[in-house]
Amino acid sequence: MKLKLGIVLVISILLWGCSKEETTEPDTPLVLFEKPSTFPNTSYKMESNPITEDGFLLGKKIFFDGKLSRDGTISCAECHNQPYAFTHHGHAQSHGIDGLVGPRNAPALQNLAWGKTFFWDGGVFDLDLFSLAPIENPVEMDEQIGNVLEKLRKDVTYPPMFKKAFGTEDITTERFLKSLSQFMLTLVSANSKYDLYKAGKASFSADEKAGLTLFNEKGCASCHPEPLFTDESFRSNGLPTDFFRNFVDTGRYRITELKEDKYKFKVPSLRNIEYTFPYMHDGRFISLEDVLDHYADGNMANLETLDPIFKQNTKIGIALNQKEKSQIIAFLKTLTDESFLKDKRFVP
Amino acid sequence: MINDFVFYPSHCIFLFVKKNYISKKMKKIAFALVLGISVFFAACETSDINPNDKNSVSLYFENLVGTDPVVLNTKTYTNASSEDFTISTFNYFVSNISLKKSDGTELKFADKYFLVKQSVESSHTITLPDVPAGDYTSVSFMVGVDSAKSVSDVSQRTGVLDPASYGTDNMYWSWNSGYIFFKMEGKSAKSTNAAKDYKFHIGGFGGMTAKTANNLRTVTLTMADLAKVRKNIAPEVHLAIDVQKVFKSTLKIAESNTIMNPTLGTAVANNYKDMFAVEHVHNDEM
Ligand code: HEC
Ligand code: HEC
Repeated sequence: MKLKLGIVLVISILLWGCSKEETTEPDTPLVLFEKPSTFPNTSYKMESNPITEDGFLLGKKIFFDGKLSRDGTISCAECHNQPYAFTHHGHAQSHGIDGLVGPRNAPALQNLAWGKTFFWDGGVFDLDLFSLAPIENPVEMDEQIGNVLEKLRKDVTYPPMFKKAFGTEDITTERFLKSLSQFMLTLVSANSKYDLYKAGKASFSADEKAGLTLFNEKGCASCHPEPLFTDESFRSNGLPTDFFRNFVDTGRYRITELKEDKYKFKVPSLRNIEYTFPYMHDGRFISLEDVLDHYADGNMANLETLDPIFKQNTKIGIALNQKEKSQIIAFLKTLTDESFLKDKRFVP
Repeated sequence: MINDFVFYPSHCIFLFVKKNYISKKMKKIAFALVLGISVFFAACETSDINPNDKNSVSLYFENLVGTDPVVLNTKTYTNASSEDFTISTFNYFVSNISLKKSDGTELKFADKYFLVKQSVESSHTITLPDVPAGDYTSVSFMVGVDSAKSVSDVSQRTGVLDPASYGTDNMYWSWNSGYIFFKMEGKSAKSTNAAKDYKFHIGGFGGMTAKTANNLRTVTLTMADLAKVRKNIAPEVHLAIDVQKVFKSTLKIAESNTIMNPTLGTAVANNYKDMFAVEHVHNDEM
């Protein structure tokens, strides 16, 4: 009798299990990464870390988890807010643990699969190695990666997620870093009005059109070329070096220690620029008007490493009148990608 | 055989006692003599090396200041520039080890990385397994983590190369991707900073996205004693590392108490590459 009951129970559980599995099967699998047709090949070796839904979900959970910091208060998302293209909204320089402030502005996290180097000075050459830096930075998360892994091992939710993503419950440095990379690689922004215009699916106003032409003809595009709006090089655009009272940021020089790299910074992408204010490596400019004034008004610092493109006229910089400035700004705003800023896949 | 009666620093005596040689010989000198002589002859007879035989070779890194074993924190030393210093941390990576035979053939131990830490006794001995029988005349190794490994995928970074393995004693620069090849820290009254300490963190593999300072150094040491690998002999190469060489007369704590960037590190790497010497080789039969 007991046996019969047992068998019936087992069978019904099996059936229930099957039917449940069928109903939870997502109708449309999450599309996580697609190379936009207008983009070049990725710099990241996608085959070394195939993006899966489970890997992505794990990376996303980690990205939003304060456990990564010493006192549990600071997550990656603290300084990288989606509605502002994953910049630190409202902070010229990013505030981290204990309210400490680092010297640099948090850049947008977008199209990282095409990044050749990371940080304003390009100090990290592999996205997978990146996340160690904010975790260990004393003014950001101030924690040791070994401790972070230990905390995740003790958290009941993580081991099963690692198993789903990587086959076993082992929480290793590689798996931790690669799942974070999987999440970050999916942050692709390629659906702005500009992209639609290029694809013939949207039209530009007269000012936006004029702005695009000026952007190309005035030389902006030589450093900020389509479609990524950065050439990933290190340049000086003549920012005066005395912005901080007692600290001079030497930029790329910090990494290469070559004189010719002094005060050079990685050319940032201009996608979603409308929302990534304040601008420049130290967040010194509040608005795009300020940025254009910097390029046009002859207030650049005539540094030895100032890019030659700015030295072609008698006045250093790029000659632009008020109308041209506002047209360029109108164009820059077409780089806003609402679908990216509001993409539900990236919401915790 | 004869080697067994030569005096060596403390470490070797430890080996000696462990193997109970002393007591046996004290008790039965005559027996030992006979045994010794017969083994001596036996050794001569079997000096034909069987190339199929294998055994391990171990490298023992003994860190010294001059001739005194390093004592962390509590002991104060004086460098060549008459500056006092203590040592709180003394770590270095060893990789790309190779052993060379008298006939010039070289045995390379690829993809093996070791981190010698003064604070961790077990890290002072590196054991190289499966070395073919033969007479090895020199040992060579890199101080640091070669450039190929320094730019490798995270899946390649396990064991001592795993950034999660360091704890507070970090050996990885996350802000300028690369390993710290050599790390020495301590206190000195000559330091001009408020904490009265010094920190030498030497790294720099040559750069990935730009050519930068390369502080990888390869050390090659001849072994006068030869390391005689046999079926029943697993040689132990005893290296004496003289911390004083880090300073030589060129590095003064008063002038540089903090070195953490590769270009400044070059002078230190040039100094410490000379701190390694082979003290002697044990070819004890098992
Ligand atoms: C305290 C604020 C803060 C926290 C927390 C933080 N970041 Fe950042 N992030 C920044 C700043 C500031 C920069 C630019 C720093 C620089 O260039 O020196 C940056 C840069 C980056 C970059 C480089 C982007 C590029 O194009 O160069 C990536 C990727 C990134 N962060 C990801 C993360 C991840 C992943 C985490 C969590 C593990 C994280 N950040 C945590 C502030 C923060
Ligand atoms: C010689 C290369 C070069 C040229 C030409 C150039 N830029 Fe830049 N741009 C840079 C660099 C480098 C930075 C970052 C500088 C820094 O933060 O130190 C930058 C920053 C910016 C930023 C701020 C981005 C952010 O996220 O903070 C904007 C906006 C911008 N440029 C727009 C333009 C426009 C518009 C033009 C043409 C008028 C232009 N740039 C021409 C190299 C260039």
